[in-house]
Amino acid sequence: MFAKHVTKDLSAYCHGELSPHDASGVAEHLIGCPRCRVVFEEIKLGVKLAERLPEKKAPDSLWQDLEARLDAHASAGEFASARKVASDRSIRTTARIWQPRFLAIAATLILALGLGAFWFYKQESRPSWEVARLNGSPRIGSARINDKSRLAIGQWLETDNVSRAKIQVGSIGQVEIDPNSRVKLVQTRPTEHRLELARGRLSAHIWAPPRLFFVDTPSAVAADLGCAYTLEVDDEGGSLLRVTSGWVALQLKNRESMVPAGAACATRREIGPGTPYFEDSSENFRQALSKLDFEPHDSDWSKIPALNQVLMQARPRDTLTLWHLLSRLEGADRSLVYERLAALSPPPAGVTRDGVLQLDDEMLKAWKAALESTWSNDSGLRKAWIKIWTGALGRVKGVEREK
Amino acid sequence: MERLAVMSEPLIDERVIKDCQQGDREAFRLLFEAYKDRVFSMAVYSFHGDQTAAGDVTQQIFLKLMTSINQFRGESQFTTWLHRLVVNTCIDEQRRRKRHLGFGETFALHTTGQQNPPERRYERRELSAFVTAAISELKPKFRMPVLLKYVEGLSYEEIADVLGCSKGTVASRLNRGHKELARRLAHLRDQVVLGE
Repeated sequence: MFAKHVTKDLSAYCHGELSPHDASGVAEHLIGCPRCRVVFEEIKLGVKLAERLPEKKAPDSLWQDLEARLDAHASAGEFASARKVASDRSIRTTARIWQPRFLAIAATLILALGLGAFWFYKQESRPSWEVARLNGSPRIGSARINDKSRLAIGQWLETDNVSRAKIQVGSIGQVEIDPNSRVKLVQTRPTEHRLELARGRLSAHIWAPPRLFFVDTPSAVAADLGCAYTLEVDDEGGSLLRVTSGWVALQLKNRESMVPAGAACATRREIGPGTPYFEDSSENFRQALSKLDFEPHDSDWSKIPALNQVLMQARPRDTLTLWHLLSRLEGADRSLVYERLAALSPPPAGVTRDGVLQLDDEMLKAWKAALESTWSNDSGLRKAWIKIWTGALGRVKGVEREK
Repeated sequence: MERLAVMSEPLIDERVIKDCQQGDREAFRLLFEAYKDRVFSMAVYSFHGDQTAAGDVTQQIFLKLMTSINQFRGESQFTTWLHRLVVNTCIDEQRRRKRHLGFGETFALHTTGQQNPPERRYERRELSAFVTAAISELKPKFRMPVLLKYVEGLSYEEIADVLGCSKGTVASRLNRGHKELARRLAHLRDQVVLGE
């Protein structure tokens, strides 16, 4: 299946230099080939770094120095003939050009031309996504969408209490926007597609390599690891993520929650993502976890009832929650979580109690890898993912320039 | 930078180039103003951020441009012709400086690198300075396609035209350039990926 790796095409893929057919082939291969994905991440980082090349301004003195050198050359005869041809005209025009009123007019014209060119460039070349109306009258800015329209970088798409819209996310997926929502296209390029969800709800179906599609919310960033999820933001800026297929990572600064299919995770302003949990866990479990994550604790004692509830109610599948809690709790609380986690699923060889309690990164990763089979059925998921991707290839479009 | 290109190029038309060929100093000034920042940027990244050296090379490029602009026949785009001049002058000047660099200077550069591993050497600098340094340290055959892509905003076909190679070679050299940047600046991954 992976006989023909795509590593040599990855820069061209990132720069949109491949034909649509070849780009689809690369994207499809990346989904199934871990080896090429590693190289893709490397190339993507290289591209992002190179995009940070700062502009260098030439020193103002450069022209004077250059003119002196030009004069030296000219007096040596190199420009003699050329200067002779031009001298009469230059003398005449220079004398006129340097009059103040001509200077002012020229400066105004150049400024107007520059601003005009800049405005024209910004309008013409802003990448955009196709938006289709599903219900009611969604708007882009102040303009209603009758049937189809385009959402450019920096523009807001808003729906009222009856309207819905569907966004084609470049060539990598679709996002449906539910009523009473407000979203902005922040960025779209081969290495990153990013929306901001200020309020409301969206459902995303993404068929692309991990970490290409992001949604910013007031309290966390959702990074798609493939395939489908809904994300809802309330008026206070808190959000709720529910994953229906694949994995999604929620991040705020150094706090990250990995959420697999069937699980959900809430976020709050200033706190970030809470602890992920499976939606089929008990009501008591979920309420206790919410208290643990988001309610203020005046003393360590106030956490105990909530933590006890979580530990008591936890099933083998809820090791997802317990594993995340290890790094979010301290001291005796962390020890309690370790004991319960070890009872539900003993740590693999090489993972020690002391190492885990000291948050040894390698040990935590090793234990997570051992637990993941109880959190999702990856082989079945991967098959479904590739099927969705392959089926979608025929109908997706690339990022197009706004007409 | 691409914005700069778009704003400045419309001012340079065939007439301006013809006037330059006639030795018109004002036309040349116009051409200089349109391209000076991009030429200077290419030079800065080719000379390890040394602005003095870059200024000197930028002057050389424009001097060559003025003395040889009569050879421009309009068979290719003027910008392609200019880019070739920039790339060749930067590479020639690097070779010349390398030949004239004394043993002590070469040794000093190498020992600085050995005493301070990249992580430590870069840790106090700003992100843009890290990128500038890393770009400067690329081999010219990998650096030039990167600069033509990111400073000049050229397509693979245009880069291939300037460098006189195939599009496949451009893709391959950019791949190597990107990997090299990622390897040298791996410690900035979180800052770049999460900081956006």
